[in-house]
Amino acid sequence: MKNDALAHRVSRRRFLGGFGGALLSLPYLESLAVAAPTQAPAVRMAFFYLPNGLIRQGFFPGESQRALSSATGQNNVWRFEGEAAPAGSHPLTFTPTLEPLQKMKERITLITGLDRTFQQGTDSHAQAASCFLSSGAPYTVLHSAYPIDRTLDHLVGDHIGKTTPYSTLELSCNDAKDNVESIYFDNMSWFGPGHVAPSLRDPRQVYDRLFSTRSNTRYRNITDLVLDNARSLEKKLGRADRHKFGEYFEAVRSIEQRMDKIDAMKAEVAEYKTARPGDHLPRNEYIHVMGDLLITALQAGLTNVATLMVGPERWQTTNKYEGILDQPRSHHAMSHNQSEFIDDLLKLDHFHVSAFAQLLEKMDVIEEAGGTTLLDNIIITLGAGLGDGATHQYNDLPLVVAGGGGGKLKQGQHIHCEQGTPLANLWLAQLHALGVDRKNFADSTETLSSILV
Amino acid sequence: MSVAAFPQDLRAEHGYDNQADHLTLSPLLLESFLLLGHTIVESRDLNPEECRSWNRFFMPPTDRDPLQAIRARLARFLRRAFRRPVDPATLDRFVAFAEKSLASRASFTSTMKTVVGATLAAPDFLYLYNTQEKGGATASAIRQKLDDFELASRLSFFLWSSIPDAALLDLAEMGQLSDPATLDAQIDRMLDDRRMARFCDTFPSQWLQLDRLVSSIPDPEKFDSFYFNDGYRVSMHMMMEPLLLFETVYIEDRSIMDLLDPKFSWRSDVLDRSYTGDATTRGGSVGTLTFKRIPVTDPRWGGVITSAAVLTMTSSRTRTQPVTRGAWVNSVIFNDPPDPPPAGVPPLPEPDEEHRKNLTIRERFFEHRTREDCASCHKQIDPLGFALENYGPTGQWRDKYENGREVDPSGKLFNRYEFTTAVEFKRSIMKEKRRFVRGFAAHLLSYALGRGLSAADSPALTDITESAMSGQHSIRAMLKSVALSEPFHHKNTRIAPLGEIEHEK
Repeated sequence: MKNDALAHRVSRRRFLGGFGGALLSLPYLESLAVAAPTQAPAVRMAFFYLPNGLIRQGFFPGESQRALSSATGQNNVWRFEGEAAPAGSHPLTFTPTLEPLQKMKERITLITGLDRTFQQGTDSHAQAASCFLSSGAPYTVLHSAYPIDRTLDHLVGDHIGKTTPYSTLELSCNDAKDNVESIYFDNMSWFGPGHVAPSLRDPRQVYDRLFSTRSNTRYRNITDLVLDNARSLEKKLGRADRHKFGEYFEAVRSIEQRMDKIDAMKAEVAEYKTARPGDHLPRNEYIHVMGDLLITALQAGLTNVATLMVGPERWQTTNKYEGILDQPRSHHAMSHNQSEFIDDLLKLDHFHVSAFAQLLEKMDVIEEAGGTTLLDNIIITLGAGLGDGATHQYNDLPLVVAGGGGGKLKQGQHIHCEQGTPLANLWLAQLHALGVDRKNFADSTETLSSILV
Repeated sequence: MSVAAFPQDLRAEHGYDNQADHLTLSPLLLESFLLLGHTIVESRDLNPEECRSWNRFFMPPTDRDPLQAIRARLARFLRRAFRRPVDPATLDRFVAFAEKSLASRASFTSTMKTVVGATLAAPDFLYLYNTQEKGGATASAIRQKLDDFELASRLSFFLWSSIPDAALLDLAEMGQLSDPATLDAQIDRMLDDRRMARFCDTFPSQWLQLDRLVSSIPDPEKFDSFYFNDGYRVSMHMMMEPLLLFETVYIEDRSIMDLLDPKFSWRSDVLDRSYTGDATTRGGSVGTLTFKRIPVTDPRWGGVITSAAVLTMTSSRTRTQPVTRGAWVNSVIFNDPPDPPPAGVPPLPEPDEEHRKNLTIRERFFEHRTREDCASCHKQIDPLGFALENYGPTGQWRDKYENGREVDPSGKLFNRYEFTTAVEFKRSIMKEKRRFVRGFAAHLLSYALGRGLSAADSPALTDITESAMSGQHSIRAMLKSVALSEPFHHKNTRIAPLGEIEHEK
């Protein structure tokens, strides 16, 4: 991506945004853009989720000498017994897996010691990603084996996603053609209990969804008709069906709103149009391209909230890992055989973290209003729902929070949390940084204030 | 024609991709439907030559007022699309939509096309729903019978994976479909119809979980016979074998026991050679797969359990996975999927590299069966997988492992049948006919209803099983028993919607 060229367009877009599309044909004047009281850039939020945990020895400071974990059952509680940092804020140290983030050291915070709680009765992988962003306490969602509520990205989208065509964007780099696992292994984003927000997996599909505006006129006249139909049909349904049918209304309304917003910013979006991604991409490029599309969507104002799941939980399927590993492997199988596959596991973790680092570096050169960059205006979190792929532990999760959050985040530190601190405390802090006023979130006990300015 | 790929229909835990609980609508999916509708009506294939109903539907009328014609045509069309007569208000709405389109100077034909596109995104088309009976707001706990239109849809989606045809709708409209003699005759008619081919694709591939095979990539160094013509995989040939077996059992109305132990199979040359590990397989056209029906005389072969497809997809890249195979046999053959492992199991001690090389796979999993916390489940799962250890990771027979150790498939099935060979294992399964029949009935019923089964469905399963046991386990008879069973004729009611949440303490 040519960031230099794009950087100017951003401020241009923001400038034009204040006047509607009418001034598009006028030449762009730098001085005007600076002089005009520019709108504050939107604050955005994104997640970069890693499946099957990370190798602790490579990622966590102080754990390099720990013995590797071996294959086990469900949700073990494991506590580090070596040289652990005391709870509090520490200077960042760069372990081999974190090393790619060196350049961004002022812009990130490593957070260790946060826990989630597993609800007995399902596979632990199944709750790792699917409950990561709702973080509910077990048995709080009635009639559900999973404590899944409306996930953080959608809650935030309800606030900062109102003006964008898409209130949230869900991406995944799971290109497996088999359908071996249920939805719970493969989705981190949920509208609500049992109502999954499916992700886009094909870069070309993402591209078309972001940049194709043709469909607008096409569907415009249809949506009224089908909504009327839905209203009359709803009256005939039983209670449970009616509840489920709410999804239809939600979907039609969301499409209508998107059409309106896209119509209003069609010309601006066109400016971000790049080449349509190719057909087959090796694994490394696939992940980079999806990351680039995520950045473009955030940059172009198509959405303010996005999730990217780098891969699904468990999903034993072998992946070719072209451009990353020398041989096809199954990440999940390797995570249960750490001593045999340690080299490839570390390589994979290193690649994922470096892909995340590249996202940050790209965002850091995308200029936005008020002399800020996209990275200044976002909270982007790298994390995994398992503290270790073999022990399936829900405690001591690996987390890196990056970006300035619109000036609300204090970065450049390693925060180690008191044993038993819920992950939801971090989510609550992020909600507060984004201006969402809530006393608590899921099983939070307080705000993780050490990350806030 | 460019239809953007749909988001995948998501699979339910231990279930089928038609389980209502798991099918949800998102803006993304609805947009795909909108696009699909548009693509269909704007397709070049929708023309007077290819479309049989062109003159009846898309051509402007010559003998009467266009709006009158539209009303008459839409009443028929919407009845078919919505699978029940269209109510006057809905019909008015669609006619008004068409009228508006004509008024904006769209041609008659293009107006009709737009209406069809809209219909394909309408909720009445997309949702299989149950209507509430009068005064039924509080009646959710009481089992409600399907009306005749709902019954027509349930039958057609079960057996044809599609909407009911005119004959079913006509009978439903006359209120005759649920009449026992009529229903019996209609089920027979449906079972004889060519549209059953869809059932023979959809059901067995999901029942056997065959899509897992798509992503099997055995190590090319170790399993070169799995690849032919420079890198083509034998998978597609493998997948055809159990599907053709299923279809043959259906078409010839054979016993479902033939799914496990038939005296015949279907093989292509490529597949045949892959079974024997003949790595000289380098010929054969990639484009056409010619399958021949062959007799099976060697008792080690034949049937779905020892099909190369199942044996390959339950193996990893380099070795067999007995626990995965055991779990597959339990879930698919006996409909008894294992629970996830319990919480807090400490790690198995890892043998060192040198030691591990000399172990058999059974020895590596020794702790599974001796440690109390593992044994309760693994004693059920593992023997079913170890029994298949003579079948290598791509389904070839082996007597010894690479390290020279003998394969030991011996074990005990259901704590009753001792076996020492794979053939004896299969015979033991064949002695447990009732278990298999009941498991198969449960798979069919769950697929037919689009939901998981509960204890309340147990009597129906017993009826279906016993009637199959007293006959010849005929597959047609079983499909018919499912379609006549009590749950099939009742609405799927759920007591409460999922996820009323207690938050904000």
